Amino acid sequence: MAHIPDGFLGPAVIAGTTALSAAALAVAARRSRARLRDRQAPLLGAATAFVFAAQMFNFPLGAGTSAHLLGGVLVAVVAGPWAAMLALFSVLIVQALLFQDGGIAALGANTLNLAVLGAGGGYLLYRGQLALTGAGARRRMSAAAVAAFLSAVLTGVAVGIQLGLSGMVPLRTAILVVGGAHLPVGLAEAALTATIFGAVLRSRPDLVHEPVSASAGRRWAAGITTAAAAVALGAAAWGSALPDALESARARLGLQEAVAWTTAPMPDYAAPVGGPWLAALVGVALVFGLGWLVFRLGARGGRVA
Amino acid sequence: MSFHHLDHYAQVESPITRRSPTVRLLVTVVLAVGAALLPLGAWPQIATLGAIVLGLAALARVRPADFLRRLAVPLAFVGVVSVGLLVLAPGQTVLALGPVAVTDAGLLRFGSAIGRAAVALGAAVLLVSTTRFTELLEALRSLRLPATVTAALGLAYRFLYLLTDEVERLRRAARSRNAAAGSAPRRWLLVGIAATALQRSFDRSERVHHAMLGRGFTGRLPSLRPAPSAGHPRLEVAAALLLVVVILASARL
Repeated sequence: MAHIPDGFLGPAVIAGTTALSAAALAVAARRSRARLRDRQAPLLGAATAFVFAAQMFNFPLGAGTSAHLLGGVLVAVVAGPWAAMLALFSVLIVQALLFQDGGIAALGANTLNLAVLGAGGGYLLYRGQLALTGAGARRRMSAAAVAAFLSAVLTGVAVGIQLGLSGMVPLRTAILVVGGAHLPVGLAEAALTATIFGAVLRSRPDLVHEPVSASAGRRWAAGITTAAAAVALGAAAWGSALPDALESARARLGLQEAVAWTTAPMPDYAAPVGGPWLAALVGVALVFGLGWLVFRLGARGGRVA
Repeated sequence: MSFHHLDHYAQVESPITRRSPTVRLLVTVVLAVGAALLPLGAWPQIATLGAIVLGLAALARVRPADFLRRLAVPLAFVGVVSVGLLVLAPGQTVLALGPVAVTDAGLLRFGSAIGRAAVALGAAVLLVSTTRFTELLEALRSLRLPATVTAALGLAYRFLYLLTDEVERLRRAARSRNAAAGSAPRRWLLVGIAATALQRSFDRSERVHHAMLGRGFTGRLPSLRPAPSAGHPRLEVAAALLLVVVILASARL
């Protein structure tokens, strides 16, 4: 569930994510205007329409499953990160208001997860890798693939953290389930992003946003940021498996008080039967089984872009 | 080309459509956010907000069948997503299903999530059923969303149909030359189509940009003066806000 519907997030999370997204988008709007000037409106329109169409377009993966492109990293590496963030935000507005895909109150959270972390964060990871490896066509493709995978997982972990902080599901379970569910999503996203980006690089390299050549200092900064992000992601995955690592971090940050009033008494974080791992696994299987069934039945109507 | 298919439902004249689009959008947001902010298990408040949404839908003369059909798909999706809540929230076991157990805390969260989502989705369906895309854009513009975003949305709305047609042409061309028998070539073909669609949409944006410059574009998209609308916009939004705040307060007491 990359698009969080309304009804799942607590007031504190809604307020916090909305404020963060608004700030990030304000920066993106200013930076993108400075870079694109009057080219901006048509370019963003095209990027928005492409992301929108791409999300309606299903790629068969075999074994009856299919995936659609999220598109954040692809648009970021082609059109630049600021334009990509704004384009994804536009897509999210339309999806929330017109297609009821993702909640209206949850728009801030969805923007944070998919536009800011997904596209913006994904681009940062891409640039970080290029800073370390150099920018040949093949390296760009593989950097885009890695960035697409990590950005999808990052999105999933962010959704899990938000659900956990809202008191819907224990934090650790939420990160495990939602983040884990985004691992296959990330693999599909990586394959699609790399192959489509490769095709564009081969046939129309002039369309691709050229990263401004950075100074050595900035390259190092980008490299270090990437390494830090990778470590943080790994630590989140590892910490979520460790008892109480994140809960204690949460208590240290004073978040416990902030969310306590939305959380029903949950004295013990152990799942009822079989431990959190089993519950998480069964939850994932249930959600996926049901979702697969529903969308399989829905797909028979043949609504492909 | 089905140019107006998104606006397909928003054609019925009613007291609601005579309000300005900004009011419709703001009241929708107030109702959806109000529903999302309700605490767990606030059943009377969820029912009250739901009744308000249904009342407004009746006032807007949305056909019940249309309303339900538009609500069903996203609500089914929410239901699927919420199943995880049943077993993932720790609490007293209510129903044991093999290795997992449905808990009371899980049931509470499941019901609350679906109830709150149903109200918020209902409000969103009401908005789509009464408001055309151009009106929505006008409302977003009047709410001071960055001009960048509203301009992009306006153009994307035009581009989307062109792009859909473009993709359809590419697929028809591939079919007519018997391309891609088997699943692996088919996957490559789809990647090729997606890449071509990306290129063509960016090419189109270049062409449109040149055309816009040729017509004296300076970076701002002009819009027609909005049609005058009935009612007292500020008063109506304030009333909705007050009502939702009272409902929220009653749930917190």
